Amino acid sequence: MTALIIDDEIQIRRLLRLALESRGYVVRDVDNGRLGLQEAAFCRPDVVLLDLGLPDMDGLDVLKSLREWSTVPVLILSVRDQEHVKVSALENGADDYVTKPFSTAELLARLVVIQRRHHGNESPELVVGPLTMHLDRHEVFLGGEPLKMTPTEYAFLHALARHAGKIVTQRQLLREVWGQQGDGQTHYLRVYANHLRKKLGDRLILSNEPGIGYRLLDPLPTDIP
Amino acid sequence: MNDDLRPDPDVLLAQVKREEQQEKSGRLYIILGMCPGVGKTYAMLLLARQRQHDGLRVLAGIVETHGREDTAALLDDLTILPRKQIEHGGHTLEEFDLDGAIQSRPDLLLVDELAHSNVPGSRHLKRYQDVLELLDSGIDVCTTLNVQHIESQVDVVRQVTGVTVRETVPDSILDRAHEIQLVDLSVEKLLLRLSEGKVYLGERAEAAADGFFRESNLTALRELALRFTAECVDRDLEDIRRARRIASPWKTNARLLVGIGPTPYSESLIRWTRRASGRHGCPWLAVWVEGISPLTDQEQEFLARGLGLARRLGGEVVHASGEDVANTLLGVARERNVSQIIVGKPSRRSRWRPSLADRIIAGSGEIDVSVVRPQLGRPPVKPGTPRRRSATVANHRLREYGWVLAILGGLTALCWQVASVVGYTVPALVYLFAILLAALCFTRGPMLMMAAVSGLVWDYFFIPPRFTLEIKAPEDIILLAMFFAVALCMGNLTTRLRTRGVAERRRQMETDALLRVTQSAALIPEINQGLAEALKIIDGVIGGEIALFVRSMDHTLPVTTHPASTWHAPERESGVAAWSYSNKQVAGRFTDTLPQSTGTWFPLQTATSVMGVLGLRLSLESDVLDFSRHQAMEAFVLQLALVLEKEHFMHAVNQAEVMDKSDRLRKTLLDSVSHELKTPLAVIRASIEGMGNATANPYVAEIDTATKRLQRLVDSLLQMTRLESQVVEPHLEWCDVSELVDGAVAAVGDALKNHSVSINLSQDLPLIKTDQALLQQALTNVLHNAAVYAPEHSLIELMASHADQTLHLSVRDHGPGLPVGEEDRVFGKFYRVPGAPAGGTGLGLSIARGIIQALGGEITGWNHPQGGAVFEILLHGDFLIHGAEIACVSGQIGKSRVATPTP
Repeated sequence: MTALIIDDEIQIRRLLRLALESRGYVVRDVDNGRLGLQEAAFCRPDVVLLDLGLPDMDGLDVLKSLREWSTVPVLILSVRDQEHVKVSALENGADDYVTKPFSTAELLARLVVIQRRHHGNESPELVVGPLTMHLDRHEVFLGGEPLKMTPTEYAFLHALARHAGKIVTQRQLLREVWGQQGDGQTHYLRVYANHLRKKLGDRLILSNEPGIGYRLLDPLPTDIP
Repeated sequence: MNDDLRPDPDVLLAQVKREEQQEKSGRLYIILGMCPGVGKTYAMLLLARQRQHDGLRVLAGIVETHGREDTAALLDDLTILPRKQIEHGGHTLEEFDLDGAIQSRPDLLLVDELAHSNVPGSRHLKRYQDVLELLDSGIDVCTTLNVQHIESQVDVVRQVTGVTVRETVPDSILDRAHEIQLVDLSVEKLLLRLSEGKVYLGERAEAAADGFFRESNLTALRELALRFTAECVDRDLEDIRRARRIASPWKTNARLLVGIGPTPYSESLIRWTRRASGRHGCPWLAVWVEGISPLTDQEQEFLARGLGLARRLGGEVVHASGEDVANTLLGVARERNVSQIIVGKPSRRSRWRPSLADRIIAGSGEIDVSVVRPQLGRPPVKPGTPRRRSATVANHRLREYGWVLAILGGLTALCWQVASVVGYTVPALVYLFAILLAALCFTRGPMLMMAAVSGLVWDYFFIPPRFTLEIKAPEDIILLAMFFAVALCMGNLTTRLRTRGVAERRRQMETDALLRVTQSAALIPEINQGLAEALKIIDGVIGGEIALFVRSMDHTLPVTTHPASTWHAPERESGVAAWSYSNKQVAGRFTDTLPQSTGTWFPLQTATSVMGVLGLRLSLESDVLDFSRHQAMEAFVLQLALVLEKEHFMHAVNQAEVMDKSDRLRKTLLDSVSHELKTPLAVIRASIEGMGNATANPYVAEIDTATKRLQRLVDSLLQMTRLESQVVEPHLEWCDVSELVDGAVAAVGDALKNHSVSINLSQDLPLIKTDQALLQQALTNVLHNAAVYAPEHSLIELMASHADQTLHLSVRDHGPGLPVGEEDRVFGKFYRVPGAPAGGTGLGLSIARGIIQALGGEITGWNHPQGGAVFEILLHGDFLIHGAEIACVSGQIGKSRVATPTP
């Protein structure tokens, strides 16, 4: 597996390289956005770690150019911690967002999650920990027990489960579940998140990132190395 | 769906607007009667007592009992507003205290006799203007009115009773009435009351009473009152029908147009139109077509009076100019989609020349035309002055006649000398030439006389036989006839040409002045200098001094005039200016509001706001602000207002740009500082983690702790800086309080692991519109503070409830509490309670306060009587109660429980 690091700080690059190589990644690193885009086209990485504050161009623009031709998973690694920056990165195609200073273990776990979703197969079953969704039959099982859901709850859970472990922004959720008229109706999310929490109990965590979105987490992860 | 059956959206919109207007302003209740003595005041007081009984604060602003005991008895329980004493001409007069009424702000104010004229020295000429101001300031008013005082009914009243009513109220105030209640009494009963002396007739009216209170008059007035009320009810019904979208059987798109001229007949035409528009419930226009000939002073007065009446009665005044009155009127009518034109019936019809009415009918096409017999309006109300003015005009005329005769005399003497040499036909040509020249300076009358007299003089002195008017030769007869015809035509045509030229020049001058005003005010870069230029030009064109008040940035009027003013208005004038500014109406001299002031004040109004006021001081001799000057002033005022508004916007844009630049600079600085501080921290932290198990090596563990502390400090400092430089903009969205509380507890993390936390949320917590991330951070900081200061294994209680559109969030610990007397200091920056455990930054609570203030809430801390500190966050905002859904959700988490912080 190849990881591409785009960051202008040499120390960060070196540390990330150490951490990633110890997990078996082949690491390429560059220190500016233009080279980063070239490298991404040339070596076709399996995952990209992108800093937002680059010397030659804004990381967000790098992300946008990358997304024009590639679906490679991208993890943003930045010192900017304001919600609106995170939301705009996520909505422009980033798969996850980690703020510096970061915990290496958490960073590696997130990398695994975004890669797993990425080469997810087209199977009619969606499994997140104890949760199984039969997409063809519209049935949901939690720990083997069937779970009754309204169509909206199902769509909501489906939107989250498809990106399990990753943040789904509020706008993405509203668009996916309610369509155009869902824009700005954040109160729908609050109500349905509550319904789902009630139904899922503590077998799955539906965590809220204030101002950004929701994330469905398996409290006992099995596939994170 | 048939389009014809649908209510016109414009009409509905107008109705909605009217209702909105009525929502904001006070409500007007009118008690209507047919004449004095039917018991209007009594009815008003009964209503007032009822309202007071219902719990409203009723204030008797002014109530005339005229010594009737039963009426006075009703007044006993009511609060009475003391009357205002006004000094006038050595007497002390009593009047209704408008300012007192506005200040005391009752729920309902009683104001008797709406048609009353205020004593000189009051703010307004008429009491109904007081009432309008009261309504605009949001006070409900109940008032009484006799039907003969309604402006549009004046002609009818004069027809039936022969009495001309002078105290009138415009119909537009009746349109604002929320409720009109009729007090009816049969004529017999009224006459009985009259004979018992129960009717107050007023001091002056007593003489007229015999004539007025005849049975026939009273019956007619009663019919008038009943019919008027019926019309009002009819209109209400129409409104109801429209609101229910029932197809209306009447033309909703009707619009009336009345053509008015500078004659005393216009007023009755305007009243007629107003009555008709009231019946149709449609808008109306009063159109004045300015011709080529200038108006005399008296005509000016008639015109000003007519236009003023039209405005007062709620019509739209349109000013058009054109030589052909009929065509111009028809043009305006077509342009404005008028359905009916009203014109006066000519007093006698000429066989040869079609009248205005005839020509309008001929060209009206699909428009209805009503030809109404007008009645002579009131004679000029200001006796003396018009006569004096017309005397000066007559003097001027006489002088012209004198000149004409003198010229003729001179020419005749000259021709007499040369007649023997050149023959008798040459003098005729000389006379014609003289007429042509004279027509360039004299008016029409003297010119016609000159033409006639010169013909006679020529005949008498030159045509043989001389010194007789007799003519022998037939060719001389033809010559003389030709001479008369040519002289008259020439005189006439030339004077007409000249008048047109004069009018054209005047218009040109006005346009020119307007252009110069705009140019100087808008193009001179230094606005004050430009304004000074502009005001000087206005001063020159209008012929009066100009004062200018420009509103300041905080939308108040300054005390002193703008330095550009050519008239520095004294302080007592600024009150009038302020009234004009806040009421957006022309006030002062020549108007009905504060007419005793020296200046006339025009609000500088644009589509969005009032930029200030412009005052005009004319010399004391001028007793009327004539129409053309009024028009010119209005044009200047609009231009100045636009220039000032542009200036205001440019200023605002500049300021915004500066703000924007410094904002961007601050943000960039913050970003780079945070980058520089956080990157090394990230490197250290990643390196420590890379070393493997930190607990194995105590040195590594120390570095780890220090790094985490440093990171907290950096985060806090950056957050504090953002809050203080107002870079933080709350992003409002609907938030679930339980989600927020859970998030905060989770975010505090390890610090809480040795405490028990009880979370108590009230059952019916709605969603609140706020910035969830910020609020959660504030709560996290407060919780973290509690966790640091409260001893291990003690209880930390977190409560949330909702009352009166306010969210209460409180955190109580069982620690040592806050230093007594200095509870508020804990929110200060870097403040640390003496003896506090090491590791805090002293910024947590001040950040929490900064955030809560940015969200528009407040946070306070105090010591609980049973020990420990309590911090309470109060947040006002929009709430969304999602009915049963939310209730059942919070029912689940409403139980008190011990939180297990997630790592």
